[in-house]
Amino acid sequence: MPAILTVDPRSGVPLYHQIVEQVKRSVALGVLEPGEQLPTVKQLATDLTVNPNTVARAYRDLERDGVIDTAPGRGSFVRNDGSSGRARRALRDVTRSALNDAIREAKSIGLDRTDVTEIFQRTLDRWYVVGPSAEDSKKQ
Amino acid sequence: MNSSERAVILVKNLSKRYGRIEAIDDVSFEIPRGSIFGLLGTNGAGKTTTFKCMLGLARADRGRVELDGAPLRPKTFEELAYVPETNALYDWMTGNDHLEFTRRSFRGYDAARARALIDTFQIDPTRKAAKLSKGQQSALALTLAFSIRPRLLVLDEPSAGLDPLHQRHVLDLLIDAAASGATVLLSSHQIGQVERAADHVAILHQGKIVIQGEVDQLKANEKIVEATFDPRAPELRELEADSSVRRIVRNGRIVRAFVRGNPDEVARRINAAAPTSIRVLDQNLEDIFVTAVGVQASADPAREA
Repeated sequence: MPAILTVDPRSGVPLYHQIVEQVKRSVALGVLEPGEQLPTVKQLATDLTVNPNTVARAYRDLERDGVIDTAPGRGSFVRNDGSSGRARRALRDVTRSALNDAIREAKSIGLDRTDVTEIFQRTLDRWYVVGPSAEDSKKQ
Repeated sequence: MNSSERAVILVKNLSKRYGRIEAIDDVSFEIPRGSIFGLLGTNGAGKTTTFKCMLGLARADRGRVELDGAPLRPKTFEELAYVPETNALYDWMTGNDHLEFTRRSFRGYDAARARALIDTFQIDPTRKAAKLSKGQQSALALTLAFSIRPRLLVLDEPSAGLDPLHQRHVLDLLIDAAASGATVLLSSHQIGQVERAADHVAILHQGKIVIQGEVDQLKANEKIVEATFDPRAPELRELEADSSVRRIVRNGRIVRAFVRGNPDEVARRINAAAPTSIRVLDQNLEDIFVTAVGVQASADPAREA
């Protein structure tokens, strides 16, 4: 588990946020499986060399978002019921925020709506199969 | 702050004057149990004076200090380890002498742990402290501090003189102590170290606390909106009235607005002045420190006060 988590303390992004996002990503991708146990707060804090309260806060957020369950005395586990769907949905926020930054910058450098739409469409076409595929409709 | 995190260290309105110099002025902070609290500041900002007043090594002119809800008392020192920046050791005593001295003085002394730390820091315990390098002296003082498994740790510049590998050991020790329920207060020049280990931070500048809070909260809150204009940045006076804008720095074509909270609204308003580009920058702890103490970065020569 520690191998798939890394944090950058020098980043302006809060550390707990980095941990939450990475765990969600791992769950969404199936790297962490339903029922799998996460390291204890102390263990992960030691592995990442970050404050235990930071890890505890990340775990609280993950629990609140329905991605993990914490049983006092037993530890934290990836939830069995739909945690990967929830993690996947939560990752949409990451995408939304990245798009927000990109579009704000585009507008500020003078691109108009048509320009941005065109760039967006072309980028979509590069990564997604053109036309409604099963993959796309599943994500609606 | 979470209400379950009861303050284990409370410092309230602490002031101390040396002659005409106000060393610390109305310093207040709380440290929750199990926290690592980083006190940052430039040289002479008042970090050491704060520690001394807290621990009764200097008499504060005003203010009070509570540890576990009570004023300082002899019993507190049984579970408290203080490592001053200098003079933590007796020059004429060897490492082994210091260990023996600590064993006799503290009930919580853990001999196995002390030996392990001596090994980790590669200290020769048969040498007199005066004959150890600066880094080895720091390491020995830290070994003594951690060997009593204290509930409270007060460390003044714990990494001074240590090589990067041993600095890393100190970081591991701090995190292990906090994970085991100890509360740590440290001052450090190593912002990177504080950024990793500390969950709370206060920045002391000329004797006053200029900013404090949870490290992650500060990072989430403090953003910079940077806009480039052609040919010159406009005044943007109306932005100064915005309470979320802490500071506006204009430098030729570039304007930087230091924003507390969500930067979107400020970005939108600056955008209305038709810049050629605009972006929102995150701030790490060093940026926040520099902003807080008002050090003029070389990129900001035209800073308006």
